[in-house]
Amino acid sequence: MNVIFTVVFIASMIAIAIAAPENLLSSLLGGARDAAEMALTLFCIYAVWMGLSALAEKSGLSKGMAKFLKPVSRRIFKTDSDAANECLAMNISCNLLGLGGAATPYAVKAIGELEKQKNSFAQKLLFVINATSIQILPTTVIALRASAGSAAASDIFLPSLICTFVSTAAAVLLFLIGNRIWR
Amino acid sequence: MALTVPVIFIFVFAFAVIKKVNVYNCFTEGIHEALKFTVSLLPCLAAIFMMCALFEQSGLADRLCKLLSPVFGFLGIPPELTKLVLIKPFSGSGSLAYLNGIIKQYGADSYVARCACVCFGSSETVFYISAVYFAGVKVKKLALPVICVLAATFISTIVACLICRIM
Repeated sequence: MNVIFTVVFIASMIAIAIAAPENLLSSLLGGARDAAEMALTLFCIYAVWMGLSALAEKSGLSKGMAKFLKPVSRRIFKTDSDAANECLAMNISCNLLGLGGAATPYAVKAIGELEKQKNSFAQKLLFVINATSIQILPTTVIALRASAGSAAASDIFLPSLICTFVSTAAAVLLFLIGNRIWR
Repeated sequence: MALTVPVIFIFVFAFAVIKKVNVYNCFTEGIHEALKFTVSLLPCLAAIFMMCALFEQSGLADRLCKLLSPVFGFLGIPPELTKLVLIKPFSGSGSLAYLNGIIKQYGADSYVARCACVCFGSSETVFYISAVYFAGVKVKKLALPVICVLAATFISTIVACLICRIM
């Protein structure tokens, strides 16, 4: 991340200094403003879902749900920690339901739990799975198409499902192979 | 499918009431967690969004698009999608705006727009996710997972353009 960030930042600054030096500060400020707006949007999403997940947690609901998925997540992520497995199970079920906003807090919590055991393999695997999108129903896109007057807004459902599956499978496969070679 | 969210909410609230949980306090506590979480993300978000803004404003993004369009075309990806494919890993809102533009310009049921929708729907904002996930931990060597995800996203883009041709 550090390398990409530094290289892109410096290269862009040089390009901007040559083309239009007065734009440098304004585009930096614009970026920061975007981030602030994004943070506000995210807070709204997380406020709703983390409020709900606190309820689910306190009432023992998430523990019950995690029990079903725990054997699976234990095998995939190679971790014995109950707390981590619970978060992992919730993350995956939220993702499959298409509740991306609810899935992220669980993933971050799971990564925190995995950090305690220094299980960086599971952390990276979780990132790989989440970053390739395992969403089943692309709700945003379907809504967008419908509002643009599409004749069959949801006919991209099957292609999307195939592509989601292909990307996740390919990423996990590449990661497992790479992980073995890297060592 | 529209009922999924209401059903989940009602079920969780009802279950909490049955289990005698203090709903208001508990819900507020969850939101407090959300606030702390969002604040912890802000530094990473700000840095990454600044980088994206610079990259876009400097014209380097457009230059990269021009450079890569023929390569993408060779792999069966329409040149109109080059920018979308390149922006998506960096910025969700930016690529959504661009997707909207494609749909408006070519019509929702055109081949290009359908390709764009499938690509958009089956990929994620990789750099943003990596920043969020690894904000609080000291994991090193993130290059491998990030490269794997980007490669897989690219593969699925090619597949998407192929499938949209037949389906």
